[in-house]
Amino acid sequence: MLNEFLAHLRFFIAGGSHGEVDEEVRFHLDQQIEANIRAGMSAEEARRQAAIAFGGVERTREQCREERPGYWFETLAQDVRYAVRGFRRTPAFSLTVVLTLMLGIGSTTAVFSVVDRILFRSLPYGDSNRLVSVGLVAPIEPQEFMLGGSYYEWQDNQKPFVALTSEIGVSPCDLTENNPARLDCARAEANFLPTLGLAPVIGRNFTANEDRPNGPRVALISYSLWLSRFRLDPGVVGKLMRIDGHATEIVGVLPKDFEMPRLQAADVLLPQALDAAAERHADPGHPMWAFARLKPGVSIEQAKAELEPLFEYSLRLAPAPFRKEVHLQVRTLRDRQVHDVRLAAWVLLGLVTAVLLIACANVTSLLIARGASRERELAVRSALGANRMRLVRQALTESLTLSVAGGVAGCFFAMLLLRMFIVMAPDGMPFLAKARIDLRILVFALAASLLCSVFFGLMSGMRKTGVEALTGRTRTTTRHALLRRWLVIAQISGTMVLLAGGALLARSFWNLEKQGLGMNAENIVTASISLGQTSYPTPESQMAFFQQLERNLRYGPGIAAFAISDSLPPGGYHHDQIYASLRVEGRPSLASGTGGTVAWRWVTPEYFRALQIPIMQGPGFTDEDLTSNDRFVVLSKSLASRMFPGRNPVGQHLHLAGGAPAENDPSYTVAGVAADVKNGGLAGGEEPEYYRLRRQRAQDWDRSSVLILKTTLPPAATEARIRSQVAWLDPTVPVDIRTLSERVGKMGDRPRFEMLLVGFFAFTGLLLAVIGLYGVISFFVVQRTQEIGIRMAVGASRADILGLVLTNALRLIVPGVFLGLVLALALSRVLSSLLFNVGPHDPLAFASVTGLLILVALLATLIPGSSATRVNPTVALRCD
Amino acid sequence: MPQPTDLLQGTLDLLILRTLALEPMHGWGIAQRIQQASQNVLQIGQGSLYPALHRLEYKGWIEADWKASENNRKAKYYALTRTGKKQLAAEIETWDRLAGAVGLVLEQG
Repeated sequence: MLNEFLAHLRFFIAGGSHGEVDEEVRFHLDQQIEANIRAGMSAEEARRQAAIAFGGVERTREQCREERPGYWFETLAQDVRYAVRGFRRTPAFSLTVVLTLMLGIGSTTAVFSVVDRILFRSLPYGDSNRLVSVGLVAPIEPQEFMLGGSYYEWQDNQKPFVALTSEIGVSPCDLTENNPARLDCARAEANFLPTLGLAPVIGRNFTANEDRPNGPRVALISYSLWLSRFRLDPGVVGKLMRIDGHATEIVGVLPKDFEMPRLQAADVLLPQALDAAAERHADPGHPMWAFARLKPGVSIEQAKAELEPLFEYSLRLAPAPFRKEVHLQVRTLRDRQVHDVRLAAWVLLGLVTAVLLIACANVTSLLIARGASRERELAVRSALGANRMRLVRQALTESLTLSVAGGVAGCFFAMLLLRMFIVMAPDGMPFLAKARIDLRILVFALAASLLCSVFFGLMSGMRKTGVEALTGRTRTTTRHALLRRWLVIAQISGTMVLLAGGALLARSFWNLEKQGLGMNAENIVTASISLGQTSYPTPESQMAFFQQLERNLRYGPGIAAFAISDSLPPGGYHHDQIYASLRVEGRPSLASGTGGTVAWRWVTPEYFRALQIPIMQGPGFTDEDLTSNDRFVVLSKSLASRMFPGRNPVGQHLHLAGGAPAENDPSYTVAGVAADVKNGGLAGGEEPEYYRLRRQRAQDWDRSSVLILKTTLPPAATEARIRSQVAWLDPTVPVDIRTLSERVGKMGDRPRFEMLLVGFFAFTGLLLAVIGLYGVISFFVVQRTQEIGIRMAVGASRADILGLVLTNALRLIVPGVFLGLVLALALSRVLSSLLFNVGPHDPLAFASVTGLLILVALLATLIPGSSATRVNPTVALRCD
Repeated sequence: MPQPTDLLQGTLDLLILRTLALEPMHGWGIAQRIQQASQNVLQIGQGSLYPALHRLEYKGWIEADWKASENNRKAKYYALTRTGKKQLAAEIETWDRLAGAVGLVLEQG
């Protein structure tokens, strides 16, 4: 084996010369001639007989050469050279194929690289396929959660899990030492890391003894904090750091790729230190999020069934109105994480697959056209002695060379696209920033394009090159022409689907942007401020800070209105409670069900004036109310008409904490009714809402507030003023300043991103389909040049010829568009949850897309069509 | 003279190796030797002889050397290599088995 290989290598490197074979053959012939003369032939006859006996010298030489190990490479290089020379002769064709492949391979690779991170990435936990998220779902919180009141009962009695663990969320905390910093502190149970299958990289996990109220203060720090603050010093374990003013011992460092199961950012992991005994009796108990590891062999359905008794237990604890609307949820951790981007990811994947298919169809169709137009060349080459294998290989080499060029271009295109995605993408698309070009999918896309080029390279090479091709008479190769027609029809229908999707999303985005928010976001500067726990431990100190800030800012230049709230419409965080917990004094509360959720926020009196929300009934909040002992509330119009149908709500009394003991459920007086404001995000539904007045009483205040300033100055000037005023009060307080229009615009990022992506792919598809159509029609014209010549010679006008070409094009366009419409109507339902105020079968979107596609397709046929009308009959008839 | 028989596929390699086992030889000599030894039954077409020689050479079973021939001309002499000898033994064994088996079948008939 080795010998053989070495021999091959030797011959490959040294190479044999043709001369040797020639000399060998000459010697052979001479010997034969001598033998013949000895046998009595004349010299002439001896030479003749020897030559006849030997046969073709050239053939022998050729066969000897083919035995050489390097032969294959030699001809390959020759084929590639020939192919490249051919491409240079037809740059339009070559460029089209390469660009088509680039678009197809590049976009598929880029999108899959993104989607893969979202849908298929491996989670950074041990054996993550057995990890599930467990909990209750309710209308108020559609993502599963748990409550301390039943969690410990579940933990003690559950059967389907190896372990059940919990975390109670992430909140800001302060590192109060030299070089202070605001960090994100996550709090979790002691068995949190082991259940996830993780261990600290150095140090240890915290123990159950440390995970109890007033236990020893310990913390695990994240790898990035270890890097940025401790420069990966292994001596960090055992060090103390002051978190919110308490000395806390660092016991370990989390793994580098650690992430919280719900993907919140976390710098520090602390024991949640809940009092399990107290929680068991608490109602409803601390909100928490539970995760578990399934026992081997237990499926999610089994787990769900086995948890049923525990779920019943929790239901009994729940307030009556909740019971019917609370459900048990067990799903894989991955499902929980990708929850709301899942659909978008699949849609994206479908789109690029369509683009890849269209691209492949295009390449195929172009190669077929080229093959057909080169029939005569192939016939000539085979007549000159090229064997079949060689021709097939030549065809293959050509298509492979194109594919490789397209693949390389596609690679660069994918990198470019990916960078674009990352820049354009909205917040909350998980992992996008970490997306890298996926090699597997690059290989896959390359393989797909190679496959279609190899297949059709073979087809055009294998074709029988009959003698009649040599005559140069242009025949229609019906079989391939038919295949090409179908490919173009498929392309047009695929494009139709893409365009329809793009149009629907564009319409939806238009609606989103143009909808009335119920308020005026112009000229509003907002500043979110969250006070540190240590510097402002009491509501009194928090209120004092914000009131001082208000005094300093309120009468500054250009401030038309000033309000303080704790949250902002139209989306994002606000308080939620169930409708059933609202009660009008003197009336029973809702008999059954929760009645859905009601949003509410704390505001100061000028809130409505600043945002130009009309007060429709009653006086609204007044400055006198600020010092009152009474509590006041303003209802939104929809809430007012629901609670007080046909009656005037102003002056009525409400209780807002239904079910709580009387001393915790004070009475609120309705001070007015405000117009409805969008509060469920741009695309979300509008919830009924009410506003509580933030009086000058500490109980109405907490750490976080949003300042709302209506200004007549440029936002930058106001921003500078806010910063300097906050810094003057306390330079350590972080402020997040943005105009309200920016915040609203940011909410549109996601739909804008979706629309742009689909639009991009629709445009790519359209471009490819047009190229395909153009190719088929111009091929049709070239093939029929002679026929057109005859028609013109016997009197057809230019209009007749144009009509002939257009009819032919329409035979492709009409079925393509029709098929596409049917497909698009069937598929657009998938998009419905991404659409806002547009039906998935919106007639306007479909009609305009159909019109656009037909128009563009007809334009693509006009160029070859008009060249057909310029055919000179005398030239066309003489050409064969 | 009986009609020359077509060579069974693959037997040409065996015949060449066997011929070269006696002494190094040039192409023409090999063809002559096979023809004589088979009493003119086997006639080697030059069109297949030289490609076969080159193939065997690339496989490393025979090696070539330019030497002066009996009539003092430069000729390419082929000789068996060590692997070639092993290969010959293996091919002879295969051939014997095949011939024996064919013989058995024919006798039965």
